[in-house]
Amino acid sequence: MRTTNWLFSSRFWMGLIVLALVCFPFVSGSRGALILLTQIFVYAVFAMSYDILLGYTGIISFGHVMFFGIGAYTTALFLDRWEHTFLSFLVSLAVVLLLTGIVSYLIGALTLRLKSHFYAMLTLAVSGLFLVLAEKWRDVTKGSDGFTFQIPDLLRDRTSLYFAALAFMLVMYLLLKRFTESPVGKVLQAIRENEQRTESLGYQVLHYKIIASVVAGLAAGLSGSMYAIALRFVNTAVFGINVTLDALLMTIIGGVGTLVGGVVGAAMILLVHAGLTDLAKVHWIFERWMVFFGALYILAVMFFPQGIVGTLRQWRTKLGKG
Amino acid sequence: MDVLLNLAINGIATGSLIFLLAAGLTLIFGLMHVLNFAHGALFAWGAYFGVWMYANTGSFLAGILGAIVIGGLFGWLLERFFVQPVYGNAMAQIQVTMGLLLVLNELIKVFFGPNQLSVQAPEYLDESWLVGSVVLIKYRLFVIAVGVLVFLGLQYMLKRTRLGLIVRAGVMNKEMVQALGINIKKVFLHVFMLGAGMAALGGMLFAPYAGVIHADIGMDYGILAFIVVVIGGMGSIVGSALAALLVGVLGALMAFYVPSLSLAVNMLLMFAVLLFRPAGLLGR
Repeated sequence: MRTTNWLFSSRFWMGLIVLALVCFPFVSGSRGALILLTQIFVYAVFAMSYDILLGYTGIISFGHVMFFGIGAYTTALFLDRWEHTFLSFLVSLAVVLLLTGIVSYLIGALTLRLKSHFYAMLTLAVSGLFLVLAEKWRDVTKGSDGFTFQIPDLLRDRTSLYFAALAFMLVMYLLLKRFTESPVGKVLQAIRENEQRTESLGYQVLHYKIIASVVAGLAAGLSGSMYAIALRFVNTAVFGINVTLDALLMTIIGGVGTLVGGVVGAAMILLVHAGLTDLAKVHWIFERWMVFFGALYILAVMFFPQGIVGTLRQWRTKLGKG
Repeated sequence: MDVLLNLAINGIATGSLIFLLAAGLTLIFGLMHVLNFAHGALFAWGAYFGVWMYANTGSFLAGILGAIVIGGLFGWLLERFFVQPVYGNAMAQIQVTMGLLLVLNELIKVFFGPNQLSVQAPEYLDESWLVGSVVLIKYRLFVIAVGVLVFLGLQYMLKRTRLGLIVRAGVMNKEMVQALGINIKKVFLHVFMLGAGMAALGGMLFAPYAGVIHADIGMDYGILAFIVVVIGGMGSIVGSALAALLVGVLGALMAFYVPSLSLAVNMLLMFAVLLFRPAGLLGR
């Protein structure tokens, strides 16, 4: 043990960042920054849920957004049609868990027995179906115009919403971390490393993959609920393929299989996005920010597969030894 | 009866277009197990670039040639610089080609503007014949004819030429072909370019057929082509042709009788095939 060890401890840095985030609303008066950070927290949970699939189990889904969309619409409809109280919000969360649980189980059970190619394609197709459904069912979803709704008084204030989102992210992080370190989580990582070997060790691979799919689906559903609350508005864009791709990008840039990478990635992408949106006033090319993100994404997959957190960890191991 | 016949011709024409897209996809997958998500973007690029050529030269034929050339060129670029470096890594392949789909789609908006373009068929294809009480639209018959020609050409290439022999052998056993001293990567590059060219041709033919093109057609038709490839069986050209006709005709019928279900039907068809016959109708 050397005296500088705390510098390399991720726990120390995480604690520091959380402390800074807790203090932030008291220090800064910027409303925009508060809103942006709230969004980062919500997207971070969505990216972490994606990491359970991509990073921990080695499954690529192009339809993860369907759980996000189900969560967003369920909460929005409960608050809009029933009453905008905290109780109604809690009930909507329970319904979100139930719905996403059922959908993720069914999709997992039906399609996870297929090879990764088919799974990627099928999830893309199914989420496309959800998008079409949402657009056709205008009575309920109001189509791409969407609808606004009131949120519980408890969360109405931007600062309390900020703290709720921060707490939500931290709790989800701890829960998912616990999940990945559980015996089930270890089996999932074994599947990622070598599916055949895991199977020959006597594990029912399909069974574990379905568990991963359900856990990821539940977490994504909750993040969708929080997204709706944070925006106080919902439209069919919450079923858009680009939301899945955002999560994919965040997970890859942050670092797959690290969980905290989802948080780092979400922060990176949303900050860069905000910056590019400002730049759009300077030159129209920045309006097509998808080009930059897409290029970044391709390059990251090809040359930077470990992501930010993975690379940092590698440096730490090197420095720690040196 | 006339309605049914018209719908059938409509469906077969759509099927021909989807076939042009699916044929490359299925060959690329069959040979190298690369699932090219960017294939739909080549379709859209073919449409936009071809229409641009057509508008600037005034010749429809030049548009078609331009589309095929840009498709082949993109195929070469994609294969050489993006797909080849990640061979054997299925996860990376899926992700890289998905990223390419995004970038290429967005680049269309950069180069050709974000609004949809309307396209007219050239005069000599814009008429229709009246046979009895059935209206035969020339352009649809033209699309069907091109589809059939490409199908026959592909069959000839696969069954009668040396390249086709290598491709068929590669689909069966890639390692064995390599062991016999054939550079399968080079063959694959050619197949990829061929597939890309066909996709771009499909896009160009689609433009006057639909009347308008927008940047999202790549994604929409890419998904349809995937459905077709899955239903027909990965790697089977004949399977893709049959499935494309099935999807095209079924889509036309559904769009007429139960429009709200037209997309769902294709998905359900794919689900059924995947659950009961994962290898596809004609897959091995």
